[in-house]
Amino acid sequence: MVKEISDKIKEAVASVEPVETPYEQRGYHLAIEATRTNIVDIVNFFDKSGFYLADMCCVDYIDYLEVVYLFNNHNQVCRVKVTLKVDPDKPSAPTISHIYKIARWYEREIHEFFGVLFDGHPFMTYLFLHDQIDFYPLRKKQVPVPEEDKKLLNSFNPGEQEDGFFLNLGPQHPSTHGVLRVVVKMNGEYMLSAEPVLGYLHRMHEKMAENRTYQQFYPNAARMDYLGALNFNLGYVTTVEKLCGIEVPERAQYIRTITAELNRISSHLLWLGAFVADLGGLTPFLYTFDDRENILDILEAVAGSRLTYSYLRFGGLFNDVDDDFVANVRKFIDRLRSRFSMYERLITGNVIFINRVKNIGVMDETYPLKYGCSGPVIRSIGIPFDIRKHEPYAVYDRINFNVATGTNGDNMDRYLVRIKEMEISLDIIEKALKDLPTGPVKAEKIPKKLKPPKGDIYHTVESPRGELGIYIVSDESDVPYRMRWRVPSYSNLMTFPQLAEGSLIADAIATLGSYDLVIPEIDR
Amino acid sequence: MCGLDNIIAIVGKEIVRLILGLIGVLIVVVVNALILTWVERKVSGHMQKRIGPKEVGPYGLIQPIADGLKLLGKELLTPANVDKPLYYLAPVIVFIPVLVSFIVIPFDGFLQVKDINVGILVILAFSSLSVLSILIAGWGSNNKYSLIGATRSVAQNIAYEIPLLLSLLPVVFMANSLSLKDIVEAQRDGWFVWRWQFFAFLIYFIAATAETNRTPFDLPEAESELVAGFHTEYSGMRFALFFLAEYTNIFIASAIATTFFLGGYLGPVLPGIVWFFIKTYFLVFVIMWFRWTFPRVRFDQLLNFSWKILIPVAFANLIVTGGILKL
Repeated sequence: MVKEISDKIKEAVASVEPVETPYEQRGYHLAIEATRTNIVDIVNFFDKSGFYLADMCCVDYIDYLEVVYLFNNHNQVCRVKVTLKVDPDKPSAPTISHIYKIARWYEREIHEFFGVLFDGHPFMTYLFLHDQIDFYPLRKKQVPVPEEDKKLLNSFNPGEQEDGFFLNLGPQHPSTHGVLRVVVKMNGEYMLSAEPVLGYLHRMHEKMAENRTYQQFYPNAARMDYLGALNFNLGYVTTVEKLCGIEVPERAQYIRTITAELNRISSHLLWLGAFVADLGGLTPFLYTFDDRENILDILEAVAGSRLTYSYLRFGGLFNDVDDDFVANVRKFIDRLRSRFSMYERLITGNVIFINRVKNIGVMDETYPLKYGCSGPVIRSIGIPFDIRKHEPYAVYDRINFNVATGTNGDNMDRYLVRIKEMEISLDIIEKALKDLPTGPVKAEKIPKKLKPPKGDIYHTVESPRGELGIYIVSDESDVPYRMRWRVPSYSNLMTFPQLAEGSLIADAIATLGSYDLVIPEIDR
Repeated sequence: MCGLDNIIAIVGKEIVRLILGLIGVLIVVVVNALILTWVERKVSGHMQKRIGPKEVGPYGLIQPIADGLKLLGKELLTPANVDKPLYYLAPVIVFIPVLVSFIVIPFDGFLQVKDINVGILVILAFSSLSVLSILIAGWGSNNKYSLIGATRSVAQNIAYEIPLLLSLLPVVFMANSLSLKDIVEAQRDGWFVWRWQFFAFLIYFIAATAETNRTPFDLPEAESELVAGFHTEYSGMRFALFFLAEYTNIFIASAIATTFFLGGYLGPVLPGIVWFFIKTYFLVFVIMWFRWTFPRVRFDQLLNFSWKILIPVAFANLIVTGGILKL
């Protein structure tokens, strides 16, 4: 696959030199250096070959800025890094937002953090930051915002119009589960357009990472996605371990898998309650919280916290699990399995529920390619893309499990996929418990100060919401030179404007609920 | 001097009876709302594996009074740019139809403020007025969510008043009277719900749930979509009046169902008023049960359900009943 793509791109685009990179260390197979003139051709080539834009970010190397495009394929893993060097004094690059729709947001993000102007971008305003900020936060040197840029940044002003009215869904609204704001243009009960406005919970984690050692930044990961905290921990920890070449003991790997899957179930349970509450059924919310409480108790006993865990360590775990943990998890598996039939009768079989979610918010196969959405959202379309299967981490390669998929890509399928995923997670936990080896849970000789070798790495894990990617650039110091988080809800939410267009407000809110959004994760 | 006969003679007089009745109705309305808020919290609590209120008084019985005091003590906030006369008027108007409806409901053979021979028409006519207050509240609040809630409410009430009326008419045919008392008396041989009118009862109950804006038909106040719908901008005692009216409406809807289909105050051993309240509160419980079980329907589904299913079925039922009675 890698060889094939490498040959094909040489044919398609002249003057391109793809370099094969060690995937085990770098996390991507091919590196391509693009220039201003051929970047659009390269991106076009990947679009035609069925690749999606996994991530797009920028790194400030002081002498030059580097825009990084990361591509991947849904069928067979082939990660490609395309870099484009940009002049730091007057940074600009051609837009690719007409090829990949998700790039509209990535480019806005890069623009507000680095000042890179994307020529031809239709809507270059701030995404996260407030309008009065007068420097580019992620640049290594302080660079003031030029006047013509400031005008551009303040151009988002929805006003009253003749043929409809504007409605602000959020930032304080019961259906947005946090502080998401969606500016909706309505015609009666119908939505004409919807534009998510982000940044109400922006904490600049990526900047924080550049001022902290690798260990110090670790608790931040759990604060991004508070519902899938262990999965975010796991993503961060495995990335740094891969970068430094740290071996993790067998037992620790198994326990990581078990706790991450427990965390996934607790996240899905909360989503289940919130989703049905969005549709007006309030009782399941309490039932799922009742189940979720068991997981929190189990994890509290080993990790010491109930929501924002800091359980993992570089090279192992904070502490070992005991027999009580194993017994409690087994008890919980039995309990949750018996509860599924109750959820089936209370929710899945309910006529009102079926009519509210079936054939609503239908996505087709083009969505994951154009928007890079992932997780249960893409699996509901019928694409069995799961990082746990495709690029296994922890011990997922040693455990045999299915990937839940849907067929239509509507709200019902997203619901069913998550229910099935909980059952699969229970299977994974059960198998992992059976094989749980004895031994140490911490690698020996982990230095107090981690100083990874020079280079970059892109590593992904499957969070409850989808593909979580972490891109780290190291300069051999104990502080990351640049850390970039590719978060799943971000690209999932991007599909909302297209799905909401022309739908009833009640349907749009059902669709919004079906994404399982966690706003702090989007805003970072 | 003040013998029993005298008291009965005084109470028997029309004007005295009306005044006493209205006082009684006011008491019943308030006490009923207090009880229902407590019941709803307990019912929802137990359905959701909670225990509901328990701290204030035994079993939390005083909780509604504490809540009422809290609402009374709250500042009456008037948002800027509201249409003031309408904004103030809406919570008052919402209460008038509720009080009038109580006048004709027979709680017992003797306990009825006034037996009007077009009783059911009075109730239906006045209950249509409550939608007016919702519209005024939504329009006057100067809030988009309120306005959407109000327009939804109007469409919903128009759609569901028709099946409501059509499902009550067969009973009127069978009892040969519009007076509620006569309708109850006509059920001495058996409740109408078992005497051929089961479908009418079902249709009435569904339509009544929609008329009282309860889940699964609570679209005017759908909290996940419209925050709180038409009463988003109301606080303190004004909000409490809407709340009071909602619970009283549930009670009236159940009371009419009891009167028309479940034999009203008729029943063995226990006095009539006890039977009346047992039956009514059972129906109230069922409506609460709906709320804590079902998700909300969508707006177009709601209207389609009324126009395409309920109205044709109710109409067919009416024609069949009328035809059989004529033969």
